[in-house]
Amino acid sequence: MKNILLASFGLPRPEEILCRRGNRLLKLRTWIWIGLLGTAPVVVASVDYATDIKPLLQDKCYSCHGAVKQKGGLRLDAGVLIHKGGEHSILAAGDSGKSPLLERVMSEDLEERMPPKGKRLSQEQATLLRDWIQDGAKFPPNETVPKSPADHWSFQPLRRPAVPGNGSGEAAANPIDAFVLAELQKSARPVPAQASPSALLRRLHLDLTGLPPTPAEQDDFEQGQAPERLEGIIDTLLARPEYGERWARHWLDTVRYADSNGYERDAEKPFVWRYRDYLIDSLNQDKPYDRLILEQLAGDELPDASLESRIGTGFLRLGHWDDEPADSATDRFDQLDDIVSTTAQSLLGLTMGCARCHDHKFEPLSARDYYSFLSVFSPLQRPRKGRQELTLTVEGTEVYCWKEPSPIPPETYVLLRGSPSQPRERVEPAVPAILTKTQPAFPSPDEFTTRRRLGLARWIASPENPLTARVIVNRVWQQHFGRGLVSTANDFGLMGSPPSHPQLLEWLAYWFSHEAQWSLKKLHRLILSSRTWQSAKTQDSLIRYRRLEVEAIRDGMLAVSGALNPKRLGPAMRPSIPEAALEANTDKQKVWAVSPEPEASRRSVYAFIKRGLVLPMFESLDLADTVSSCPQRQVTTVAPQALTLFNGTFVNQQAKAFAERLRTEAGESPQSQLRLAFKLALCRPPSASELSELTAFLSVESLSEACRVILNLNEFVYPE
Amino acid sequence: MNPASTHTLPAAPTRREFLLQAGGGFAGLALADLLSTDARAASPLTAKPSHFQAKAKHCVFLFMNGGPSQVDTFDPKPALAKFHGTPYTGEAKVGSNGRAVGHLMQSPFEFQQHGQSGLPISSLFPNIARFADDLCVIRSLHADTAAHASGCLQMNTGSIFIGKPSLGAWLNYGLGSANQNLPGFVVMTDPRGGPIGSASNWTAGYMPAAYQGTLFRSGVSPLLDLATPKGTDERTQRRSLDLLKKLNEAHLQMRPDDTELAARIESYELAYRMQSEALHAVDLAGESEATREMYGINDPRTADFGRKCLLTRRLIEKGVRFIQLYSGGGHLEETWDGHSDCIANHKLHAAETDRPIAALIADLKRTGLWEETLLVWGGEFGRTPTSEGVGKQGRDHNWHGFSMWLAGAGVQGGQAVGATDELGFKAVEERCHVSDLHATILRLMGVDHERLSYLNQGLNQRLTGVEEHHVLRKVLA
Repeated sequence: MKNILLASFGLPRPEEILCRRGNRLLKLRTWIWIGLLGTAPVVVASVDYATDIKPLLQDKCYSCHGAVKQKGGLRLDAGVLIHKGGEHSILAAGDSGKSPLLERVMSEDLEERMPPKGKRLSQEQATLLRDWIQDGAKFPPNETVPKSPADHWSFQPLRRPAVPGNGSGEAAANPIDAFVLAELQKSARPVPAQASPSALLRRLHLDLTGLPPTPAEQDDFEQGQAPERLEGIIDTLLARPEYGERWARHWLDTVRYADSNGYERDAEKPFVWRYRDYLIDSLNQDKPYDRLILEQLAGDELPDASLESRIGTGFLRLGHWDDEPADSATDRFDQLDDIVSTTAQSLLGLTMGCARCHDHKFEPLSARDYYSFLSVFSPLQRPRKGRQELTLTVEGTEVYCWKEPSPIPPETYVLLRGSPSQPRERVEPAVPAILTKTQPAFPSPDEFTTRRRLGLARWIASPENPLTARVIVNRVWQQHFGRGLVSTANDFGLMGSPPSHPQLLEWLAYWFSHEAQWSLKKLHRLILSSRTWQSAKTQDSLIRYRRLEVEAIRDGMLAVSGALNPKRLGPAMRPSIPEAALEANTDKQKVWAVSPEPEASRRSVYAFIKRGLVLPMFESLDLADTVSSCPQRQVTTVAPQALTLFNGTFVNQQAKAFAERLRTEAGESPQSQLRLAFKLALCRPPSASELSELTAFLSVESLSEACRVILNLNEFVYPE
Repeated sequence: MNPASTHTLPAAPTRREFLLQAGGGFAGLALADLLSTDARAASPLTAKPSHFQAKAKHCVFLFMNGGPSQVDTFDPKPALAKFHGTPYTGEAKVGSNGRAVGHLMQSPFEFQQHGQSGLPISSLFPNIARFADDLCVIRSLHADTAAHASGCLQMNTGSIFIGKPSLGAWLNYGLGSANQNLPGFVVMTDPRGGPIGSASNWTAGYMPAAYQGTLFRSGVSPLLDLATPKGTDERTQRRSLDLLKKLNEAHLQMRPDDTELAARIESYELAYRMQSEALHAVDLAGESEATREMYGINDPRTADFGRKCLLTRRLIEKGVRFIQLYSGGGHLEETWDGHSDCIANHKLHAAETDRPIAALIADLKRTGLWEETLLVWGGEFGRTPTSEGVGKQGRDHNWHGFSMWLAGAGVQGGQAVGATDELGFKAVEERCHVSDLHATILRLMGVDHERLSYLNQGLNQRLTGVEEHHVLRKVLA
């Protein structure tokens, strides 16, 4: 009945209102409309700020007058702020007739009326607003005022918090432990026990090199003296080339690395692997992180530019690319968007790509910020000949990077709704306004390039940048602990998660950028020598069980079986692929030329990542997204993984090789074979019950079957 | 900086963090509810409630790879006969990638009205035409691209860029699957090869790989690594799995709180069940000779697509959510991409699929599954009403207007919705963007395209993107 009544006057149907504001309003409004239509007085006393007014303002006004943006200095996202007004007062509580707030929303003058875009307030919304003002514009006194984005924690300058002392006033030996212990004491929680030495040895090796410790390394370790032996192992492992192979892959996740472009031809990116090698080498040399940033963004514009630093700029060209785009103008901005989004997420932890079509809805990033940032990269051109990509030759070496053909930059405009055909105001290079009071000085062009990227890189790589150190320290922490102090590694904005240990993160970021010379190896050393990292994995520990990445699983199997080819660097190899996986390809004969052995048994970081054909084992075990920056690997647990790891050719081959190795190295006794198998795969001796289970199994089944089971154990992929 | 932290150790994940870890959206929530009670239920494919009550529980997408010509199939244009051999003077951009532009070319195929509805269908599909009253032809589709790669991507993922989840992945993420022993999203490609872009067309994109399409073959090992490895007999396989389980359970006993470890133990058992279930699905021995004949399995022309259609019925019976079949694969004339001779091309591909598709419809009706199955037929775009080159018989790509049809659960059959212009070039009435089609398919499956979202890159991503798109109400019964 009500439905018919309301609908007949052209009003929203009740269910629409129900969707927005709940039952209460519906009842109330029915009254009001009877009031407006008939002779009864308008009901004014029953408007409720929280249920009636706030959602209305949120819907219509917050995007310009809220925490993120304050046009005219006005915020409407809390009662106290509405009363306060902006540049002008907007409210006369108790007198709706003298309140600009109501006048503006009711105005028939389109220049005056609020909101300026989108649907105007409906009659009943306006009535609600009027009655609320008339009734004194009341709001609950305890309403929290949303923080201004300018006060957001990660946008503040870095400070160095004092390291907490323990109960007796002494600081813990490791500042990380000092912060964590202080928190534990506050909440009266137990300090988790330390993991066993053999578990720690395996954990260290896998963490730093992605490979398990060999039996000889295990024996050496047992003969050493605790705790110095652990410190010694950390240094030894950090000095190994395998460290760079392991940790470069983490950065490759962050920068959406792949060896091909995707789309129809999915062509190989020529010599892109030099960028991967550059990362491995840079990490092994412990190149400071600020220098890594400078090289990746502006390696060609640096005063001391070198072949190496130019290879680093491959970072900017790793994205997907359609060589036959639907629309070439849009395509150009898609490529630039890939660079902007990846740069902002990977280096700054900002989801800037959302501001491409309009001001970011949830972050203080405007479309103007976006296009100003984009103008830093708009001088870049992709070297190509038609559909074919070209490289630049530097010192006789082919380098996969972009080219700035001229030091005179093209003009860049804000694009309305992201459309290249709708340019608006012109912009110059700038960094997001929320992050700085004064814009960095962008250097003037030299005779070769605009040097805009150099300007941006210097600002990002500065110890004064509020985000850079926080973001990278958190990434390293995340990798060591399984979970970041900030759990949204690519998003440090308002929508990101707050840090679980703000003081600790702050201290680490300050220390890393001001005292440790941006040295990643120093950061690893500090983290790995902490009690916090060395604790056993329990409900109370910060370190978590987390499945190894597919690369470490595959490499670990190769290492255990003895088939691992340690050859370093160079062009990518293609591991064997099940023929069935090629069936769906347009060119099944040509698409994947399997590398011969032992090339195919190199470490996984050297495996070719083809965007249109990801190796099934990699795909099912949650390889990083190859299209956009990956903040952290997913860990899904599904049946196809079990099929791959139990029935797949690769694992069965490794199981056979593993068995062969055991027979060679441990002789014919099943007991000694099993002891060696556990030592190789799990870094510990089998328990009595494990030994008896497996011995019984071996009385009817082959050693390679037992090896297949061992390679599939939870403990193999979830290290202690 | 917050000076005095009140956080305790370890910080409990916030709801938002949990969703991020678990995969976001309502799939994440369903997962959370079930995780504690049953490790098996922790599968990302656990069935979840829909937004709306919907008849359709399964969707079969018959993908006519290469782009069938609308004016030769479901969109008759008498005016083409009148203007046959004259140049096109309209405003639509003709053709793709600099290919030759010829004159307007009438369809050599006769259109007849079928069924009680009188829906016109060309002579290419005499068998499908028997079900004219079940088909809802949308004649006003339009896409954003003239290229196969981006066209297939758009039809499958809503975007012309790689890396976005496909329709089937969205449905599996949103609704889960009724049968945990089989993949929820099955893809069967053409023996001549896959579509351009292959796996990008059934990827889960930024979602967990568990939602992606799984290739299914009709042989002895329908799924990758499904078969017990060579040299291992079934007893050994079972004994090995039992040992693995025993050792893993002992390990778990000391770490009882870890749900991932428990779920991983279960995943091996699930894989084992998958083996028997999938093998049973592809075992057509129990199907009668009449059924084989009906699907055209005995005729070499229709054998492959017929087997796929029969397999589709069997997979629907087993509860699979989304099945995609490709007709045409590899390049050019191996697909519906009739550049050089559209007549011969379409005769070939229609003959390969007409009978099997009609058999599938009949068989679904026989088993009652028709009431809960949605069929979608079409390709990545249509073809030009002009020939490709003067005096030639090929047709080039046309993304301005083309036809697709829907049939089955929830669809108002026996009608054509929307229209192209007089010559069949451009959609002019009730224009249906590919994303509108997606919104409509989701709606038919009980899902609101505006509410099905996944948090990625700081945005709640949707299959239908940020632009406004609409359900085609006329399609709904």
